[in-house]
Amino acid sequence: MFRTDEIIKAAKLPPEGVAMSRHIDYIYFIPILFVTIVGTFHMHFDLLAGDWDFWIDWKDRQWWPIVTPITAITFCAALQYYNWVNYRQPFGATITILALLAGKWVTIYAAWWWWSNYPVNFVMPSTLLPSAIVLDIILLLTRNWTLTAVIGAWLFAILFYPTNWAIFAYSHTPVVIDGTLLSWADYMGFAYVRTGTPEYIRMIEVGSLRTFGGHSTMISSFFAAFASSLMYVLWWQFGKFFCTAYFYLTDDRQRTTKVHDVFAYATLAHSNKATGGKA
Amino acid sequence: MNAKHAFKLWMLGLCGMATLAVTPILDVAPAFAHGERSQEPFLRMRTVNWYDTEWVGKSTKVNDVTELKGKFHLSEDWPRAVVKPNRTFINVGSPSSVFLRLSSKVNGTPMFVSGPMEIGRDYEYVVTLKARLPGHHHLHPMFAVKDAGPIAGPGGWMDITGRYEDFTNPIKTLTGETFDSETKGTATGIMWHLFWAAVAIFWVGFFMIRPMYLIRARVLAAYGDEILLDPIDRKVGIAVLVFTVTVVTIGYLSADAQHPVTVPLQAGEAKIKPMPVKPNPLMIEVTHAEYDVPGRALRMTLHATNNGTQPVSIGEFTTAGIRFTNKVGKAKLDPNYPAELIAADGLTMDNEAPIQPGQTVDIHVESKDVLWEVQRLVDILHDPDQRFAGLVMSWTESGERLINPVWAPVLPVFTRLGA
Repeated sequence: MFRTDEIIKAAKLPPEGVAMSRHIDYIYFIPILFVTIVGTFHMHFDLLAGDWDFWIDWKDRQWWPIVTPITAITFCAALQYYNWVNYRQPFGATITILALLAGKWVTIYAAWWWWSNYPVNFVMPSTLLPSAIVLDIILLLTRNWTLTAVIGAWLFAILFYPTNWAIFAYSHTPVVIDGTLLSWADYMGFAYVRTGTPEYIRMIEVGSLRTFGGHSTMISSFFAAFASSLMYVLWWQFGKFFCTAYFYLTDDRQRTTKVHDVFAYATLAHSNKATGGKA
Repeated sequence: MNAKHAFKLWMLGLCGMATLAVTPILDVAPAFAHGERSQEPFLRMRTVNWYDTEWVGKSTKVNDVTELKGKFHLSEDWPRAVVKPNRTFINVGSPSSVFLRLSSKVNGTPMFVSGPMEIGRDYEYVVTLKARLPGHHHLHPMFAVKDAGPIAGPGGWMDITGRYEDFTNPIKTLTGETFDSETKGTATGIMWHLFWAAVAIFWVGFFMIRPMYLIRARVLAAYGDEILLDPIDRKVGIAVLVFTVTVVTIGYLSADAQHPVTVPLQAGEAKIKPMPVKPNPLMIEVTHAEYDVPGRALRMTLHATNNGTQPVSIGEFTTAGIRFTNKVGKAKLDPNYPAELIAADGLTMDNEAPIQPGQTVDIHVESKDVLWEVQRLVDILHDPDQRFAGLVMSWTESGERLINPVWAPVLPVFTRLGA
């Protein structure tokens, strides 16, 4: 079914080398790459979009669909670069969001439930997995990061709200408390006391994005798509910057040139022609 | 590094990790306060002057309803360093949501969202609470000011008995359904998260079952990506793409059909009128104030005029939730007020006689107690703006309480006078 045999043959590794490469795959992929993404991206995401993702009463129609995808697409783009350019593996975004959610759920049960005693529904995170899967598939199908920035990043942001409406629609059910109309999410935010998070910290539909006939969500989603597209390009380039080895090559005539090709480095290093290290 | 040295390092590391792992088991002590004493004195003394704070029902069972209520005066001496209270919120300082907040009213107006309040005016708050988590909890009223942060009021203990497992909070929505705030939406949310995680694991797993990194890197470097781009990947990719978009659409439409009546999150501004200004026949002005560092005492000279028809006796000076009383004020103390915040005999005056109608007097008042140190209010001497503010409480002969806000610069006294 797969071209695995053909690929292994082309790699020109002895059988023990092939077996070892699989061990390296597993050791590298789960304990190193995945856990590193959990540690780094979870923190990065929570610093930028944490409150929107922690609290049910922050998930408004305007800022939540803007802030979350724009923040989340950053590492997705960088990890896509790493996995695609170096290995042609189209799962960089998916593994990033899987790792983010792994970190999220550890936090929900360890920090929010066990430590702080908030109910799980109050701190239910949003999911970006469908968005990430679509982003990866667009890269696989187009094999072009520019097209992925235009089509994939747009879909990444546009899919966010409908995906999560399935989880959070109920929280917009109206309730009346003390003669005041609230959404269920507002009530939850009021009822479960957060000492350090007074109500005014929330950003609920603040700004002018909602002025087009009150269609806040649509406008926010399209704005998020546009911004995600730009963010994708920026972070793809970050991925490129951090995945590229810069070194200096001195040839037989003692001419030194700067070389950017990470694969060439290995070949050249073997032939003892590389004299410099990573810049 | 030889093997023996490496072994030693490993053993040291393991011992360190074992120590770290065992420490929390041996010494897990609950936190009993919220760092309120670490708030600078100018924040606690010159912003919100709390009074009549009550922790109703100091012992409750899970699901019992109780109240945290009281009054506060926004000091006229509001510090320049603190943003004015243009957007404020009455909050509860508690170790997580040990009580559920059922209702919060300021001067009878529900305060679900924040709103402005006026400096120099008084407000009365009532927060209705439902006991949720068993334990011995320290609760404060809190006054949060946007761009300035939360300002803690006095803290009191409230006990909750029973089992958390028995806690419920069913609320009827406008659509006629009954939601329990502890559980509503949890199962649906977890179900969707698990579902999408399964799809994502399938997608990654589809590539994991084949050589992932080393081999592909070698082939890519040597031959480019023609061999690596397996046609089946594209086919599966298209299938997963269609599946994903379809499920997202179905999920969205189904949730929309299930919850046809929704409202956006509500976030307006609470419009709260301050309490009416009560006529006060007693006029008090501070003409001099000093803090005696070794004596732990704030000394004030009050210039007081009684414009009323009854004699008035000063009985209490309160600031930052701490109450200094003499025998007049002591008789009026709420017995449930936290004893650790009271200096029952801490207020002395050079002239204890009631101020007669029409009389103007200068009274030297001393509020003296170790509480200045314990509550870290002595740190006023480290403030960039060394002033104090508080409330002087006095009573007429007929028992009516008069409240006078006072404020003034404070001069430090670093040695015992006359020593």
